[in-house]
Amino acid sequence: MKKSIICILCVFFFGTLNAQIKGVVYGSNNKEKEPLYGAKVKLLGANRGEVTGEDGKFELILPKELPDTIVFSAMGYYPDTIVVTKKDRFIALNVTLYSDQLLPEVVVSVKKGTHSISRLKTLHVEEIGSGELRKAACCNLSESFETNASVDVNITDAVSGAKKIQMMGLDGVYTQIQFENIPYLKGLESSYGLGSIPGTWIESIQITKGTGNVVNGYESMAGLVNLELKKPHEMEALYVNAYVNAMARTEINLNSGFKLGKKDKWSSGWLVHGSVLPLEMDNNGDKFRDVPNGTNISVMNRYHYQGEKMEAQFGFNAHWEDKTGGQISAMRNDPNGYYQVLRNARHVDVFAKTGFFSERPGHSFGVLYNFKYQTLDALFGIRDFEGVEKRGYVNAIYDGIFGTTDHKYKIGASGVYSDMTQRVDSLNADRLDIVPGVFGEYTYTGSRLSAVIGARGDYHNLYNFQFSPRLHLKYILTEWTDLRLTAGKGWRVPNYIVDNISLLATSRTWIEPAEIRPEVSWNIGGSIVQSFKLFGRNGSLALDFYHTHFENQMIVDRDVDVNQIVFKNLEGRSFSNSFQAELSVSPVKTIDVRFAYKYLDVRATYAGAFQQQVMVPAHRGFVNLAYLSRSKRWEFDITASIFGEQRLPVNMLPDSSLTTRNKGDVYTLLNAQITHVYKRWDFYLGGENITNYRQENPIIDAENPFSPRFDATRVWAPIFGVNVYFGVRFSIEQKKKE
Amino acid sequence: MKGVLTILFMMFFVGSMTAQTKDVEIKTSAECGDCKVRIEDKLNYTKGVRFAELDVPTKVVTVRYNEKKISLEEVKEAIAEVGYDADEVKAKTDAVKALPACCRPGGMKGK
Repeated sequence: MKKSIICILCVFFFGTLNAQIKGVVYGSNNKEKEPLYGAKVKLLGANRGEVTGEDGKFELILPKELPDTIVFSAMGYYPDTIVVTKKDRFIALNVTLYSDQLLPEVVVSVKKGTHSISRLKTLHVEEIGSGELRKAACCNLSESFETNASVDVNITDAVSGAKKIQMMGLDGVYTQIQFENIPYLKGLESSYGLGSIPGTWIESIQITKGTGNVVNGYESMAGLVNLELKKPHEMEALYVNAYVNAMARTEINLNSGFKLGKKDKWSSGWLVHGSVLPLEMDNNGDKFRDVPNGTNISVMNRYHYQGEKMEAQFGFNAHWEDKTGGQISAMRNDPNGYYQVLRNARHVDVFAKTGFFSERPGHSFGVLYNFKYQTLDALFGIRDFEGVEKRGYVNAIYDGIFGTTDHKYKIGASGVYSDMTQRVDSLNADRLDIVPGVFGEYTYTGSRLSAVIGARGDYHNLYNFQFSPRLHLKYILTEWTDLRLTAGKGWRVPNYIVDNISLLATSRTWIEPAEIRPEVSWNIGGSIVQSFKLFGRNGSLALDFYHTHFENQMIVDRDVDVNQIVFKNLEGRSFSNSFQAELSVSPVKTIDVRFAYKYLDVRATYAGAFQQQVMVPAHRGFVNLAYLSRSKRWEFDITASIFGEQRLPVNMLPDSSLTTRNKGDVYTLLNAQITHVYKRWDFYLGGENITNYRQENPIIDAENPFSPRFDATRVWAPIFGVNVYFGVRFSIEQKKKE
Repeated sequence: MKGVLTILFMMFFVGSMTAQTKDVEIKTSAECGDCKVRIEDKLNYTKGVRFAELDVPTKVVTVRYNEKKISLEEVKEAIAEVGYDADEVKAKTDAVKALPACCRPGGMKGK
């Protein structure tokens, strides 16, 4: 057994272990097109390959060295070839071979979208590629979701400038964010962490709706967002991005990847980001900065080793952020007091991954490690938060197959150690979490039906044993239609202070929960993805529905009393229903258009009434129009997001009357960007919130920030109006070895 | 908002409407998707070329260019410089040698 782990080659990160490609080969005879049985599929230069089944399907293990060429051939048909690169590893191919009775011109032409829902994966996974990420040039992870309808990014309050994601109308803490399969942005970073990952570091993002795989943990309750950052051996030799906007926010990003040594087995990559926002902006005249000022520095250095017997990665990442918000400095000597918002966040983080491929094809073993130390100090007026977290994570996974790659399994064990202290006002929530766990997952890939059945058991030192089963099914109804179903359980232990830290920007008193219990939810859902040809180009319609039912939840009740925010464990029901429809078409060769509509019904008992959660619009719309010139040198991109009415908490105004309008208005946000590409230079010019939509008076009683009526958390729309930015990118690719 | 959209839409199309341009189809010796990128990149960054689109199966590259700025011969010469035949113009030998194996003539013929 041990000897068999001495390995031939190893691909490292577990999602991509056993890089393989699947697809269907069709034969076209005049107008008729049908799956081709017995077509040969092999890699160019390989001695043996695969043969398609009765339904034309094939599955091919890809070599370590990509790009490579796949040759498709069958008697009576013109053979064809397709080049696959590393990025294509999980793309489903539909290949049509044409009868040799036909003219030879007509063969395959594929246009890959920058945004797509994988047809191959059993889980409903949306991919945001580098092309899509370029469309929102600014600044960090929170902006990366701007051209995506599944993930919403919301402003949390009117003073800290922080943004938080939402999936299915549920707070970002219910979505597990991971960095290359390592759970990330947890604990102290659950609220402000998005800002610690610069946009230029991200290579791609995978968004899974519903509970994800069991392999990466138990915390994906509404969804799973995986970030792939730039890899040392693939990233640019030199990449520089400079950005400046109308607020004088200035940003410099510098990435560099290079080979170490002569054998090219080692490579190293540096990712450096610095940004500064020096100018105080107060466009709405409430004497509060619309956006906090400050400095942000992030650095990552990572290494990649590709040997013949193993592959490994390790690296470190450090982040340093100082932000100052609140009242403008001219108010420093105001007799009513000077309301300041300070936020100092630091982290140091070390990660490592090792993987081995067994001599037995399809078997491999890998381990992930992550250690993190982070601190967060935040001041909201007189309310002072202090937090320190030490975190350790290890996950060991064995991948194997039963007979053929139709039957795969993963088994493994993980451990989480988290020592966190949090205190604010007189509240104190220190906790030590030690969570060892085991998991197993079986994947069946049939010709039409595929299934992922998994379960994990975790033992929490304070909350005992938790069992989380999960099931994902995919059924290929027709060549063009995929059906998916998912059901599963997720859980997490809430950190009610830091999860809701933005709610400190109010004079309301926090009422702490009687006890902290794990939040437990079940999520079930399904989707239909219908692909079609329209005007000779690919289009798709995706419909999905998910229901999340909470067994227990940390309820944040802002309705029960105008002077309080009450934290308590769920009594009664709490659920989220989310329906989304997304249509992608390409009416002209150079234009892609995407429409999305989302309905959110997120309810629990607030102030004794079973009602919609605050700040969640029931209706949400989205249109994205992307143009790429035929010379591929001009890109235009426009995104309009429409937000429906949102329920707001009732507040008491300074004159002791209650707010009468407790709904946000319907509004539209319009963003656009133009990119012009030169050989090594890109220039981009963009506008955010072009229609200049702003919430008037986002802060209640802004004149008296220390009065009992002050509240900067009743925010449902942008505070800052139109913003224009300009930037330049310069890149030199690494030399590829032949 | 409408004004902004109108301006952007106009900018979308203005580029392709001006000046005297000519479309031409040139048969090349391109073998694969990699060749497509090489040829298109070369031409799209050549002065006078509006756009170039290569269809790998037919090996034909469609080029729209401004006759005042570049001649058809110069377009073909540019393709030859990357290492590919362009109609009657033969590929530059040095450039062919610099190409990876898959991109050289016959590189995609599997055994």
